[in-house]
Amino acid sequence: MNTRFLIGGLLALGLVLCSAGVSAGEVRDGDDLLNRPADRTYDRIIESGYLKVGVYKDFPPYSFEQDGEPRGIDVELGKRIARELGVDFRVHWIVPDEALSDDLRNNVWKGHYLDKQRLADVMMRVPYDKAYAYKQDSTGEYVNEQVHMFGPYQRETWQIAYDPSQLDSVQTVAVFQYHPIGVEIDTLPDFYLTSGLRGRMRDQVRHYRDVEEAFNAMREGDVSAVMAMRSEIDFELGRPENRAFRLAETGFPGIGKQVWDVGMAVKNNHRQLGYALEGIVDKLVKTGEMDQLFAGLGLRYGVPDYYREFLKPEALARASGSD
Amino acid sequence: MRSNKFGIRIAASALALAVSYGAQAAVTDQDIMNDENTPGDVVTYGMGLKGQRYSGLEKLNTDNVKYLQPVWAFSFGNEKMRGQEAQPMVKDGVMYVSASYSRVYAIDIKTGEEIWQYDARLPDGIMPCCDVVNRGVALYDDKVIFGTLDAKLVALNKDTGKPMWIKKVADYQAGYAITAAPMIVKGKVITGVSGGEFGIVGKVIAYDANTGEKVWMRPTVEGHMGYVYKDGKAIENGISGGKAGKTWPGDMWKNGGAATWLGGTYDADTDSIFFGTGNPAPWNSHLRPGDNLFSSSRLAIDPDDGSIKWHFQTTPHDGWDYDGVNELVSFDYKENGKTIKAAATADRNGFMYVLNRENGDFIRGFPFVDKITWATGLDPKTGRPIYSDAHRPGDPAAAEGNKGKKVMAQPAFLGGKNWMPVSYSKKTGLFYVPSNEWAMEIWNEPVSYKKGAAFLGAGFTIKPAHDDFIGVLRAMDPKTGKEVWRYENTAPLWGGVMTTAGNLVFTGTPEGYLKAFDAQTGKELYRFNTGSGVVGTPITWEMDGEQYVSVLSGWGGAVPLWGGEVAKVVKDFNQGGMVWTFKLPGDRVAAN
Repeated sequence: MNTRFLIGGLLALGLVLCSAGVSAGEVRDGDDLLNRPADRTYDRIIESGYLKVGVYKDFPPYSFEQDGEPRGIDVELGKRIARELGVDFRVHWIVPDEALSDDLRNNVWKGHYLDKQRLADVMMRVPYDKAYAYKQDSTGEYVNEQVHMFGPYQRETWQIAYDPSQLDSVQTVAVFQYHPIGVEIDTLPDFYLTSGLRGRMRDQVRHYRDVEEAFNAMREGDVSAVMAMRSEIDFELGRPENRAFRLAETGFPGIGKQVWDVGMAVKNNHRQLGYALEGIVDKLVKTGEMDQLFAGLGLRYGVPDYYREFLKPEALARASGSD
Repeated sequence: MRSNKFGIRIAASALALAVSYGAQAAVTDQDIMNDENTPGDVVTYGMGLKGQRYSGLEKLNTDNVKYLQPVWAFSFGNEKMRGQEAQPMVKDGVMYVSASYSRVYAIDIKTGEEIWQYDARLPDGIMPCCDVVNRGVALYDDKVIFGTLDAKLVALNKDTGKPMWIKKVADYQAGYAITAAPMIVKGKVITGVSGGEFGIVGKVIAYDANTGEKVWMRPTVEGHMGYVYKDGKAIENGISGGKAGKTWPGDMWKNGGAATWLGGTYDADTDSIFFGTGNPAPWNSHLRPGDNLFSSSRLAIDPDDGSIKWHFQTTPHDGWDYDGVNELVSFDYKENGKTIKAAATADRNGFMYVLNRENGDFIRGFPFVDKITWATGLDPKTGRPIYSDAHRPGDPAAAEGNKGKKVMAQPAFLGGKNWMPVSYSKKTGLFYVPSNEWAMEIWNEPVSYKKGAAFLGAGFTIKPAHDDFIGVLRAMDPKTGKEVWRYENTAPLWGGVMTTAGNLVFTGTPEGYLKAFDAQTGKELYRFNTGSGVVGTPITWEMDGEQYVSVLSGWGGAVPLWGGEVAKVVKDFNQGGMVWTFKLPGDRVAAN
């Protein structure tokens, strides 16, 4: 081994050690000395040549890792946005905290106290809801004043899948007074089924760490159905091993939020970036490319309610891929 | 060891210490069991396994405490600060102390110079549920043992600070952490676990202190199997509570909470470990009808195999986040010429309980805060709370789409007393309780999201109960339930208490003071500002005929994490990270 190779090897080792504080594929661009994140305005992002896209970890079909590569609908959309901006896509994994406001604080505007140098340039899968964006706390302060939420790109909703070998059909949720149903722990389906019908479904609710685990349990016959978000259900039903399961057509009486729009968030004073991303996503929705993105992953696409209010029927049809 | 020129000096001084102290330095079971009677060292969290935090030293007393003066201060360094909640240990000329972010230090107690430092390497993306505090280390033989934010136990060599064994106690990715000091009982290191709001199950685990091999494990939620371990094999040792589903609906016992996050105490008379347990999960009590055992309880556990001997549940079917983790302190008292083997605890829920420590029977209970709204009292026979239903937070599912009615409950979920340990004075027979007067308002959050999905959440805010103070240090008589004296503090009290035979009560305040009070009257006799809030627990010991006091300084912990009106009181307090050590100069003792 000659000296040049040796030095190269040491440098490589050094780089590995330096980046050990960050998950694979992430860039560390915070300020070491001041222990704070870089202030990445639109111009600096363009200049740096990359966009850090914040997506939830282990959250199929939205964002997850497969063979060491980030995958999922939010990842694909993030890559698409980066390409339109003319920069490289860089993943920023988000470990979910107890509520959205925590995730926004930890990943969009302030940084987590254990890793203050780490922020995403933009966070995906942030519900687009004016009531939430302008929520006030008990002292009248705006809870989310540090972030700008914009760019709705999908309408999400709830869905049940069931095992036809255990249930003939699922016409109403009342059937789950008698048959076990799986949910991801600490989600709205968990609360809904545990407290709905005055608690009469409570004993039949089985809790799992995630939706995939709930489907594993359905294949074992431990539960007769699973309730989750529609995209999660679509994704699971796309796996060959879940081919026998069916979509239920039941509604969810009593759930206040039957559907909601999902968009993005940037730091409040990074509006210019927000406007740029908004323009990109707007085009993807209206041309039907967003629908194709979903279709490519075997998912049904819901055009955001935001667009349903003003798009003409033919434009809406184009956006939802049915023209 | 650092590789600069100073590294040589550090190495040399560590070697010197190893030579001068190495011979007699091993901490034995005898040392630990007898810690409360040996003023020359502090080798247990609690200054004795019972957790009385009482020292028989009386050189320092009400007459001369005004002459107490700092002898050295030590900085934890780095930009890492936040809460410093640890209690230091002292053995053979060395102080062993932990700091925030799972750091441990060995310090020369004569000079305040560092001997070694250990920084646990925390994994990327770790989201600890419970801030970054650490409450202390355990000492055994040649080891310094502590728990980390990623839920590991680490045993360091006491002379070098190098790891001797590291054991994963629980999976941090599933939401577990360790912040409490482990305890050593009969050669076993015993720890609990901290955990987030949902999905975890509390447990108490014992390891062989020498090897780090697991000895037994006891889950603190009904329905889970306990184990003892022999030759690497797990042997079933009975389901906690007999079987699943007795006090929980559906499969909710599988993720029932009841985290054992504050560690335990031990009583040699009854050979019992006493552990408290956290609130049940999920937070919304309407989803889980039943008592939800063994959440919000005190458990007496057999140190040999982890069996539960008895339990006492302070808040059955908790709906307010009233953890039952607060320490149960053993003490004896005389009544009608008979010695009562009792134990007392000041609960988050605002009631103080005196129990028979032989069987867990309720002797008496009484409020130690000015006002309790969630219960109208305790059943005089069983100690079970008599609920006031108007003050139970509502069901978010029932009120979906609107805020529903606001419920005011007192104390707030941070508790009449939180983690900060009480002290029992053998001299006065009183408990000294660091408490807080605050209420919380809870409502259903109509718009809430979690992980990209619509969600049902609750909103809450903490409000001080009085205009001019939140913290109250109280002297409570465990025989009558009467408050003997009180000291009111503007900011919430968040540090532990210590008493001495010199008739002194020590504690710290978020304003930065180490304070001493007359144990009989509550008169403030001493204050020294350490530069940042004191949320640690003081200790005292004797060296070369002089009495020393040490305490950590470094504002943080749970209080600054919560906003609302309490934030106004504490927002200007600066962070820090120091050990302060004081002594009473020898000539001042003579002067008396």
